Amino acid sequence: MTRSIDLDKVAPDDVIEVKKEETENEKAEIQTNTSKTKTLKEKIYEIVGHTKHSLSSVLVNPDVFSFEERDTQEEILLVARPHWFTNLSWILISILMLLAPGFIKFIPIINSIPMKYIGLGTLVWYLLTFAIIFENFLSWYFDVFIITDKRVIDIDFNNLLDKKFSEAKLSMIQDVTSRVSGLGQTMFNYGTIHIQTAAEVSYITFEKVPHPEKIIKILQFLREKKEIDKGGRN
Amino acid sequence: MLGDLGGFFHLIEKILGTTGSILYLIFALVVVKQVNTMSKNVKDKFNNILITVSYLHLLGAIILMFLALTIL
Repeated sequence: MTRSIDLDKVAPDDVIEVKKEETENEKAEIQTNTSKTKTLKEKIYEIVGHTKHSLSSVLVNPDVFSFEERDTQEEILLVARPHWFTNLSWILISILMLLAPGFIKFIPIINSIPMKYIGLGTLVWYLLTFAIIFENFLSWYFDVFIITDKRVIDIDFNNLLDKKFSEAKLSMIQDVTSRVSGLGQTMFNYGTIHIQTAAEVSYITFEKVPHPEKIIKILQFLREKKEIDKGGRN
Repeated sequence: MLGDLGGFFHLIEKILGTTGSILYLIFALVVVKQVNTMSKNVKDKFNNILITVSYLHLLGAIILMFLALTIL
């Protein structure tokens, strides 16, 4: 039997041709995956548009954003937070609380209280106001719904001491419904999306997210793509 | 008699003020811890700013406790 390479003449550090072919195949695969992700991202931009600013309720293909449970190869396609309008109530309350000490001098009894007590009381008031603002902002900022190329994830921090993480693979999604109800939701176009899954968590809910119809469209596109990929492999 | 009553109320005021400021300090510590945990879970552009703000809040709570101990 003739050998393609005379093994006696091959040094241990010589590059073997077969290995080189494998590496090229791997490179080609990575390139295909990258181009696939690129097309995916372009499609998402087409549906939702580009992110306007970093504190936007919808982040499209964010570069900086990540989460603890993320896989190494996982691409984040969309991050959604509750619509800014949902923050209006606590913002108004906070503004009133910030302005309140300015009106305290109009209360007659205040003049009889020593200055040091008024100073301490004012500090307590502003610290409490700050705590309310900060806690509400944190609850909004860290309450995120993530769509990746593999799954949908809902991370909820209901208050400072309660974290909820739920996820479902895109292939596990069975049904997606949305609900926009009430004056505020209709005017500002935000609502709740219910995702029924075949996974252990039977329901994932994205609450008060902006443009629910666009998010549903993205999910629909990703599911179709997954099915086509699955069919192609079979 | 009235002087004793005044002293008693002053003591109550001091105890309540100090307890309140200590409780607030504990709350501020919980906020720092939680912001760190949240930032570890969800990484975004403003996380460092939020962590800094939580430490500033903690500083405010320490100042409050110090003032409650000295003024009251």
